[in-house]
Parts: sequence; C-alpha cells; structure tokens
Amino acid sequence: MLETVDLCVSYGAVKALNGMSLVVPRGEVTAVIGANGAGKSTLMRTLAGLVTLQSGQVLFDGVSVAGKKPEDIVRNGMALVPEGRSTIPELTIEENLRLGGLWRSKTDRGASKDLVFDLFPILGQRASMRADTLSGGERQQLAIGRALMSDPRCLLLDEPSLGLAPLIVTQILELVSRLATETNLAVLLVEQNAVTALRVATTGVVLNLGEVVKSGPAAEIASDEELRHAYLGY
Amino acid sequence: MTNFIDFLLGGFSNGAVIALMALALVMVWRSTRMVNFAQVGQAMFTTYIALTIQQSTGNWLLALAVAMGAGLILGTIVFFLVIRPVKNSDTTGAIIATFGVLIALQAGAGMIWGGDPEGFLPPVSNAGLEFAGRIWPISLYDILVLAVTAALVIGLTLLFTRTSLGLSMRAAAFNPEVARLSGVRVNRMLITGWAIAGATGAVGGVLIAPVSTISPNSFDILLVFAFTAAVIGGLDSLIGAVTFGIGTGLVISLVSGYTDASNAPVVALVLLALNLLLKPDGVFSHHGSRSV
Repeated sequence: MLETVDLCVSYGAVKALNGMSLVVPRGEVTAVIGANGAGKSTLMRTLAGLVTLQSGQVLFDGVSVAGKKPEDIVRNGMALVPEGRSTIPELTIEENLRLGGLWRSKTDRGASKDLVFDLFPILGQRASMRADTLSGGERQQLAIGRALMSDPRCLLLDEPSLGLAPLIVTQILELVSRLATETNLAVLLVEQNAVTALRVATTGVVLNLGEVVKSGPAAEIASDEELRHAYLGY
Repeated sequence: MTNFIDFLLGGFSNGAVIALMALALVMVWRSTRMVNFAQVGQAMFTTYIALTIQQSTGNWLLALAVAMGAGLILGTIVFFLVIRPVKNSDTTGAIIATFGVLIALQAGAGMIWGGDPEGFLPPVSNAGLEFAGRIWPISLYDILVLAVTAALVIGLTLLFTRTSLGLSMRAAAFNPEVARLSGVRVNRMLITGWAIAGATGAVGGVLIAPVSTISPNSFDILLVFAFTAAVIGGLDSLIGAVTFGIGTGLVISLVSGYTDASNAPVVALVLLALNLLLKPDGVFSHHGSRSV
C-alpha cells in the first residue's frame, strides 16, 4: 500500500502540491483526476523520486521512501510510466522490456516477460523490432510492459490516454485494472480524461491546485454534477 | 594509378588509430553530451606509461594491457575532475575544464618523462611487405594495428549490444530519465563511458606511437583528425566514428601523398566545415529518428 501524508512540493514560488494526502490500496486502481496544472504530474514525479518534496511523507508498505533516488524507488517495487514518450525508440522492443528489470535474476525476468507478452501479445510478436516502429497505443503498452518488468507492487500511470484513441485507452486501462485485481497490484492512475479513468478505478480523487478537493468511490465521483462542472470542466 | 593504390593502402592503419580516438570522443559524448579535449592528452600519458613498461620488460602485450588499465583509471579520474565540480553549471564550463586537464597532463608528462621525442619499438617489423615482386606500403605492424583495432571495435560492439551493462549504457545515453525510472544507475554508466573511452584512446596511443614518436604534444594533431571524424559521423554514432575515422586516414594519406603532409590538417578542417554547413547533424546521427 502506498500512502502520502501532507505532501508539499514547490517550483520556486509556485506551490504545485499543497498538503496532499492520499491512500493507494493494493489490488485496485485509484484514479487522481483534475484539470491541467492541478499537480497531477508533479505528484507522480515526486512519488518516483524525480522531484524533491518540500515536506510531508511518502510511505510505501509502511516504509518512508521520500528523498530516495528514482533508480532505488523502482528497485524497491514502485514503477512509474511517465507521461508521453517513455519508451526508448532507438532500442528494440525486447531491449526496452529487458531494461525494465536488469538488476533481477534471469528466471525472475523471464517470468515477468511471459506475463507482459501474455498481457500485450503484440509486443511478443514484434520483440526484435525497434520501438519506433510501434503505433502510439502499442508504445504505451510497451511503456507499461517495461514498468511491469520490475515486478512492481505499485504501478504509477501518468496520463496514459495522452494522444491515444479512446477505444485503445479503454482497452489498455481495462487490462491494467484486471492485472491489479489478479496480482494484488496497487495502481495509481493520473488522468485528465476523467470519464475513462473513473470507469476502471475503484476510488476517485479530485485534485485542484495541489489539494485534494474530494475523494470517494469512483462511481460516486463520476456522478457528482457539481464536482464535474467546478473542477473537471465538462 | 599505382600511386593512388599505394597512398590508399598506406592510410588504413593511421585511419584505424583515428577511428579509435574518434570512438573515445563519441563514447564521452554519448555519456555526458560534451567533447573531452583531454582525450588525446590521456592517451599520450598512458602511452608514456606503456613506453616505460616496454622499456623495462620488453613485453609489448603487457605494455598494451597496462596502458588500457591506466586509460580506464585516468578516464574515471578526469570524469570526477571535470564533471563533478561543474555539475550544476552548463557543459561549457566542463568542456573548458577538459582543456585545463589536457594542459596539466602535457605539463605532467613533460616533468616525468621529459619533453624530447622518444621512439617506441614496434613488436613486429614496420617495414613494407614484399609481395608479387614489389614492396607494398603496408607492414606487418600495420596489419597488427588493423587487427587490434578490429578486435577492439568488435569487443565494444558486443559489449554494447549483447550485455546488460551495454544496454544500460545505451539507455542512459538515449534517455537518462527513462533509464533511471527503469532502475539504471545512470551516473555510474556515465563514469563507465568515460572509463571505456579512456581505455580505447589508450589503445590508439600505443598503436600510433611506433609510427610517430612520443612527446607530450605529439598526439595533438590526432585530436584534429579524430574530432573531424567524430563530428562527421554524427558524434553519437559508434559506426560513424569508425567509418569516418578510417575515411579520414585515407584522405590524409592521399593529400599527403599527392601534395604535402602539412596540408592534411587543413583538408580535415575543410571537410569538417563542409559537413557542418551541409549536414550539421552528421551522417550517422540518430536525430532523424528521434523526432518521430
């Protein structure tokens, strides 16, 4: 289980996260939604160790991971799929995947690779091709696959819908949601696309200007008209 | 026509050494996106170390191996000297610092070994081979140079394409952030890049020493040629460095043969200028595919 307590992050004078607290339980998807600039990506980058937090706590299975380096955080079981192009186009699909768990033993890596190829068969079929031959949706699958190669207990997905067709997004997210339930994985999903995110999530969290405005069962958040108008803009 | 073939053949072993130096520059560029102008100074220093070993033991292979080891260590030391203090500023500071390291290495070598040019005995004959009734401009030693270069290039290729370390280094070069998020200790990969570059340059130095002489400044001109080859090759391409390193060696040999050896650096700079005007990204650059 991942837990943040009173998380504060600033970029100079701008407060990107202002005392944010959140719980991400295992075995389900937790969706953080909010408009542009609400602090969603900052939250993800802070959890992954790319951004230094100012105050507050990040507890992963009860142990503080705040201030750790990104490479140690992923080795410790929390993997981020960052926003946008997070595969390495110059490497083959197989190399991109292998990269995700180089420190692990060959047998462990093999098991994770089988799981990824099971989940996203296209990656197995094209394993020896360069990653830039993939379509946008396939590349997102590769990015998630790479993260899964580290055998995470917690998966952080930053805006996976970006630039993808809605149908593909739904397919990918439903797979992730099933994986969360089946393998007891904690998934934190950050999305601007609230409808799709809340459809696969168990819990929804609305973020605005670095603060949690509302959190609760995803279905409840999705049907809250007032919330939608005020913070999600549709 | 005979002249042309002779000049061409005579350029290969020199080109191989330029290719090794260009490879060293490219490996540093791939790790830290900067040119290490101290690279030839490091090679000069490790070649002096090899010379000392050669003179005291007479064992060329041992001298080569020690030079490679010293190159690894020196590459690491220069990384910490140059990158660490200026880490938070831009790379311009670090590039200027590499000039400082170059001057310090040359001064240090002068103090330890003296400034007079010294000869380096080749392990096999350096005389042109006799074959089919004539003497060719290629010696047994040239063949050894080409063989060692080929072995090193193949070794590096296997390291980069077949091993976990190589994969980590490539990932760190292409996209440091994704590499870190995948668990790669990127900083260690940068140091490894500088260290391997140091060893590669060291091999180049030991190979060129018997056909020139060695003095604290004797490799300076090599930097001009290697830099030209590396830039034309695209600065981040290992294949580019090797191809254009050998190509530069051939061009130098032709220019020196038909005109005068002192024209070679000028021709190299003209090629460099033309390349920057016509195809600034270099011939083997990855930039085209990165913008997809």
